[in-house]
Amino acid sequence: MLWLRWSLRDLRARWVQVCAIAFIIAIGTGIYAGLSSTSQWRQVSYDASYEKLDMYDLHVALSTGSYVSATELEDVARAIPHARWVQAAEPRLLVPTQVDASAAGKTILVPGRLVGVDVAHGGPHVNRVSATAGRTLATRDAGTRHMVLDAHFAKQHHLPSRGVVRVSGGTTLHYVGLGLSPEYFMILGERGTVLADASFAAMFVPLATAQHVAGQPGAANDLVMTLKPGANVAVVRRELRQALRERFPTVGTTINGPNGDTAHRLMYDDIKGDQQLYDIFAVLILAGAAFAAFNLAGRIVEAQRREIGIGMALGVPRRSLAIRPLLVGSEIALLGVVFGVAIGLGVGVVMGSVLRGFFPLPVWRVPFQAGTFARAAAIGFALPVLAAAIPVWRAVRVAPIEAIRTGFVSAKGGGLAPLLARLPLPGRTTAQMPLRNVLRAPRRTLMTTLGIAAAIVVLIGVIGMVDSFLATIDRGERELTKTSPRRLLVTLDSFYPVTAPQVTAIEHSPLVRRGEPILQLPGTLHRGATNIDTFVDLVDLRSGTWRPTIEHRVDARGPGIVLSEIAARDLGVHPGDTVILRHPRRNGLVSYELVRSRVTVLGVNPLPLRAAAFMDFRDASLMNLAGITNTVVVDPARRTSSDAVKRGLFGTPGVASVQPITAYTDTVRQQLRSALGILRVVEAAVLLLALLIAFNSASINADERAREEATMFAFGLRVRTVLRIATVESLVIGLFATALGLGVGWLLLDWLVTGLLPQTYPDLGIVTAVSTGTWIIATTLGVVAVTVAPLFTVRKLRRMDVPSTLRVME
Amino acid sequence: MGLIELDAVSRRYEVGGGVVTALESVDLAIGAGEFIVVLGPSGSGKTTLLNLIGALDSPSSGTIIIDGKRISEAGTSELFRFRRETVSFIFQTFNLFPGLTALENVQFGVDVSGRHVDHDRARSTLAEVGLGDRIHHFPQQLSGGEQQRVAIARALATGNPIMLADEPTGELDFRTGIQILELLHAQAHRGITVLIVTHNREIARVADRVIELSSGHIVADGPPAGGHVAVDQLRW
Repeated sequence: MLWLRWSLRDLRARWVQVCAIAFIIAIGTGIYAGLSSTSQWRQVSYDASYEKLDMYDLHVALSTGSYVSATELEDVARAIPHARWVQAAEPRLLVPTQVDASAAGKTILVPGRLVGVDVAHGGPHVNRVSATAGRTLATRDAGTRHMVLDAHFAKQHHLPSRGVVRVSGGTTLHYVGLGLSPEYFMILGERGTVLADASFAAMFVPLATAQHVAGQPGAANDLVMTLKPGANVAVVRRELRQALRERFPTVGTTINGPNGDTAHRLMYDDIKGDQQLYDIFAVLILAGAAFAAFNLAGRIVEAQRREIGIGMALGVPRRSLAIRPLLVGSEIALLGVVFGVAIGLGVGVVMGSVLRGFFPLPVWRVPFQAGTFARAAAIGFALPVLAAAIPVWRAVRVAPIEAIRTGFVSAKGGGLAPLLARLPLPGRTTAQMPLRNVLRAPRRTLMTTLGIAAAIVVLIGVIGMVDSFLATIDRGERELTKTSPRRLLVTLDSFYPVTAPQVTAIEHSPLVRRGEPILQLPGTLHRGATNIDTFVDLVDLRSGTWRPTIEHRVDARGPGIVLSEIAARDLGVHPGDTVILRHPRRNGLVSYELVRSRVTVLGVNPLPLRAAAFMDFRDASLMNLAGITNTVVVDPARRTSSDAVKRGLFGTPGVASVQPITAYTDTVRQQLRSALGILRVVEAAVLLLALLIAFNSASINADERAREEATMFAFGLRVRTVLRIATVESLVIGLFATALGLGVGWLLLDWLVTGLLPQTYPDLGIVTAVSTGTWIIATTLGVVAVTVAPLFTVRKLRRMDVPSTLRVME
Repeated sequence: MGLIELDAVSRRYEVGGGVVTALESVDLAIGAGEFIVVLGPSGSGKTTLLNLIGALDSPSSGTIIIDGKRISEAGTSELFRFRRETVSFIFQTFNLFPGLTALENVQFGVDVSGRHVDHDRARSTLAEVGLGDRIHHFPQQLSGGEQQRVAIARALATGNPIMLADEPTGELDFRTGIQILELLHAQAHRGITVLIVTHNREIARVADRVIELSSGHIVADGPPAGGHVAVDQLRW
């Protein structure tokens, strides 16, 4: 009890420093616990949401442009040998379209998709639609123009829970509610791009309505199935593939499980990726806390040096002498853990709200993660105890006579200051003191520098990620807009001959200066065991309007392809090599089969999308699509805005959507910028962290150098001069720490961007970048926060009892 | 009129709810160039007297006038200036700045005084105290006697007319202590008023004047009992 009481007195004597350390530890453990909890929440919430809305077990997609009878497609699933394993099988019709959701003077024209679902008997029973506002589809909606609008899109554009939209062909649809469905828990653009919430509208309509809008009565191009518990998915998949081949021999099909759904995969992969980030950031923050705790523990032990020596002289065992400083470490740890739990709960509340906003799901579960908090508490507890143990271990190993010695012979040395003994420093002695002082306590300087640097590293890591995304978008946009920044992509609702009236009407529109028919086709690239989904644009590679940049170009005799840098890297190919392209080939009027062709890599393109690939329009014969188009690239006429072209072409027969070439990059940039608001919280936390670490160091310095400061006062130096010396010393440390933090931060960011992110976002070729603004913010935070820290000791300096301090004999 | 004048100066402290009187109605006048030793047992008030003269502390009552300045009524800013321009301190434990070399510690004295002196002042002062060959050494690389010489050089370098020394030989062996006393004595000969506080009666024998304190009162003030002796005749 004596040791405990004594240690509590030690604690009380330095309560400000103790609280500072406890807060530093709390920030580390709290952020770790709070952020890590979100990983568990996401995992259970995703599982529950997919289960609640009956995510399919198998999904059959027909190749682009292919349609079959909906009834026949369902029959195939019902007629496989193990049909008893099938719980539900529902044909769907997915129709690409343009959506006009303009309201209250705001033009909202985006591409979208009609998802025609079977609403009979309370359906759909697979990939259900859950209403977040209004109501979901009901059996009575069959054949009506009622639909449910995707909640993400509505949220981004602040649309009401009920309303009207127009789709291609001028059809008006009434949405009766806003909803969520498993394939659209995360909204991907037409080419699998993420963060497309505002630029892509999914609409759930009765199957017959979709068939009517698409002009495909009775048709389907998609089938989703759920299986009964215990069913062998692989067997069903095999039987289904066989049955489809037999029933629709000329139609290409793809069968996937839930993992084949990009959004599904990304959502789960994102949890792992984010958790890794949280771990890294928490480790860095905790490292900062450890350095700070080590500084304080060292100082406390140093202050007890004589008492430990007296204890040793009196024969007290070393382990007993170690109890008191270790108890102080434990008490700091306990305080840190208590604060940490509070901060963790706070972070959890904030993050829970952010997650609900970012990922609207039908089920969100945010239970208290006892295990995660226990782990964080254990780390938070162990850190200061360990930090205290090292100086304690050193202190109890000193000879008693050394420990109890007083007066000048016990004074501490000058650390590394003698290194500068012969170096002529400019200015008066008071101007030279800061740099000398930095070197006098090299261990503390190092620990402080590392602690602050760790905070800066976190800042660069977090904000640099956003900068890297934005830089990547800028890079892509530069490539897309280089010679024709205003052009628009007019997607057609089907394949048309280039001379078809639907195409010439677009080309000859008074709103259009020039039109160029192209083909856009999905495909897969194969090389060895590597398969990459791709989206091939067949364009005129010699076009004067715009053509893709082709780096390291080679000539090829047969059909050639230009790959994105990232695809070429992942496939391990160079210009001149060949790859296998699996692509649709027209087989009749409305059916397409998937075939494999060997194509030569003509060069690489700098677009940061792995799926981006280009072929020459004249190679369309490979797809049996020579003279056929499904997209027209148009340049607006002079003095005609993009919006005017969109409005003008909307409703034109054959037009599915009209989008500026920069529509996607604009949207993503906007969403990332809105995410920056959350990052301000990180900035504030890092600022607080750096400030606390610096304050802790400054406060220890003030403690340790009290006699020197008293001497300065005795010689008539003013408080502000003494404070200036401390401030300049902090500035020097701040500069070192910031430089180190920026350097290591860049390395960490580069590792995150090139090593970690590709695991979650393999389709994006993100470039490492830190904006000038971020450099400035990080430098300012690091330098300013650290420099101002000594100002918090001004009260102590002003109240110093100079005569008593001068006579203190350490 | 003396360089240092104290008129009915008292200093009382509140300690643990009670009041402790450290000095009671002290009247004192000290002239320029005097070499004075203040003697007294622990708690007699000698350090309080030194702190009051050095403007590190303020009297509870009474008047202190030093070099014509009424410091007992001066504001904080004036007191800081007074310390820079009028007094300099020498401490028992030297209180050198461990991050500065011997030369820089002395230069500190030059810098704070703000006097325009030749730029070699610190170097020549160190040579004066016999440390011309140790100027780039840090305090921890010097012996106790050398450190105290640096402290004296620092005080000298200020060029201030009053030097206040609190137990300047307390940490030193006899031989080194004698050297330090010789050094301080020499300063008085140059016109600097030197006031040494000590409990060592032997040191008082070299003083021009000995002020003895007991329980906050001056109980004796005059030449040393038994007569003045040269520093090299001291023994303790």
